[in-house]
Amino acid sequence: MNRALLAHTWRANRLRVAVVTVALLVWGTLLPIIFDAFGTQFQDLFDSGAFPPQFAQFGGGDIFSLTGAVALGFVHPIAVGLNLVFAVGFAAAAVAGERQRGTLEVLLSRPLSRRRVYATLALAGALFIAIAIAGLTFGSLLGAAITGRTTELGAGNLPLLWLNGVLLYSAFGAIGLLASVSFDRLSPALSLTLAVVLISYFLDVLGSLWPDAKGLQPLSLFHYVDPKSVLAGFPERADFAVLAVVIALAVGAALAIFPRRDLAAPS
Amino acid sequence: MSAIETLGLTKQYGGLASSIALPGHARAPGVRALEELTIEVREGEIFGFLGPNGAGKSTAIRLLLGFLQPTAGRAAVLGFDSVRDSVEIRRRVGYLPGGIAFWDNLSGERLLDELADLSGRAPTRRAVLLDRLELSAATLRRPVREYSRGMRQKMGIIQALQHDPELAILDEPSEGLDPLMQRAFYGILDDLRRDGRTVFFSSHVLSEVERVCDRVAIIRLGRLVALEEVPALLARRKRNVELRLGGLPPELVGVAGVSDVEVGDGWLTCRLEGDVGPFLAAIAGSVIHDLTIEPARLEEAFLEFYEADLDAEPPKAIPA
Repeated sequence: MNRALLAHTWRANRLRVAVVTVALLVWGTLLPIIFDAFGTQFQDLFDSGAFPPQFAQFGGGDIFSLTGAVALGFVHPIAVGLNLVFAVGFAAAAVAGERQRGTLEVLLSRPLSRRRVYATLALAGALFIAIAIAGLTFGSLLGAAITGRTTELGAGNLPLLWLNGVLLYSAFGAIGLLASVSFDRLSPALSLTLAVVLISYFLDVLGSLWPDAKGLQPLSLFHYVDPKSVLAGFPERADFAVLAVVIALAVGAALAIFPRRDLAAPS
Repeated sequence: MSAIETLGLTKQYGGLASSIALPGHARAPGVRALEELTIEVREGEIFGFLGPNGAGKSTAIRLLLGFLQPTAGRAAVLGFDSVRDSVEIRRRVGYLPGGIAFWDNLSGERLLDELADLSGRAPTRRAVLLDRLELSAATLRRPVREYSRGMRQKMGIIQALQHDPELAILDEPSEGLDPLMQRAFYGILDDLRRDGRTVFFSSHVLSEVERVCDRVAIIRLGRLVALEEVPALLARRKRNVELRLGGLPPELVGVAGVSDVEVGDGWLTCRLEGDVGPFLAAIAGSVIHDLTIEPARLEEAFLEFYEADLDAEPPKAIPA
């Protein structure tokens, strides 16, 4: 890790981190409030049979309990989209974007090994993700406090939920950074990482809505985040382990590829 | 110890000898960009590295800095191996890439500060460089995205030299500088020479190389075709001579170093190579109103090496 590069990366991204974190905090706060205001009506609506029962379990979340609402907040496309600013945007651009702009030349002409550059950028990405997920997690706690339902939330399990979220988006971030060190241009790195996320999300949602497709869910990284079970105090250790293994594999591959790559003059 | 030493340094893009092949690395298969380059740059000299675009100059520089892995051969910079010790090399070297790009949202001052931090060395030469290149404090407070091409090039030179490196590797350093700033840049090179620093720079501005370099290497299609001191290179060149005559022309046929003699009505032209003594002795008895001996130019020497390529021979393709 290089302190100067970390400070440079932080300065370049701090506004983005602040905006995304505040947006996730607001989003996290809203879900318990929506549940408090409309949970009973939604429950009645679904009980009337107007919607297929699978719709009530979108991505493992629901709006009929506080923990379900918080879980829904974690897997909802809005939260996913905001988290992808770092897991995909930052990660894919960290090396390939600098290379495309020509600024990687200036950076790598300093006395920094490529492994050190990679480790610093990976750490920065994980830090940004951790801050953003903390905003979402804290927002859930704040929403529960505003509605006077803190005891229902299982606040003691929130750090574990935070860790689960950080591991998920760090896994995508590690894949994004692997793509970033492997390509000379941003668009293929970004496209590849986004494709992994979208396919993963599609498989998880498909499995949650269509029982016949349930078998596809383990192929999705989103399958290994289960906020409802974590908040209920029954976290699946294997979920954490799978995400950690994905991160380790992506980091290992990037550390093998990046130092050996030829960095020809930008064309 | 040599500042730079390469031995049979070779780089082939694509093909079986490529170090790694990944999607997105679009390169023509089997192109040999640099072939068995063997040079030595002495400490304290200003060394010019000449060749047209695509000759392999940037490839050689990137091999020296560890951006590329050599296909064959080896290079040592300040005694460090370019593959094994590239971080140590970059700790001691200042590098100006060709067509440099910066983080444009930063102010000039912030940019130089951050690059100095990343170098891990205090920017001891910055004030002098800013003064020589006439970059004011007000200019440095502006975002780099507002800088002109020439100002960016000045920033590139400053970031490469501000930490007073032992060796400066500069890729087309005067590109984009106006004539006044080019003169200021030559002054900086004089400072570096006086302080015993080594400068290795690539250029295709031949007058500049002729003016500032102690020695030059000329590469053609990735191969070294000449490596010698600038005066020695120029001494071997034929100079154009013109005489305005007040009488009969002197007899120059057979005089050592004289060739291509042409005589007209009151004038004589010829080409002169090497020692000027025999020529002066031969014209001593003639009535001469005017004598012009054009100085030899590096450009002619350079073009001579490339005459055979004027019809653009493509780089050698090597079967993958």
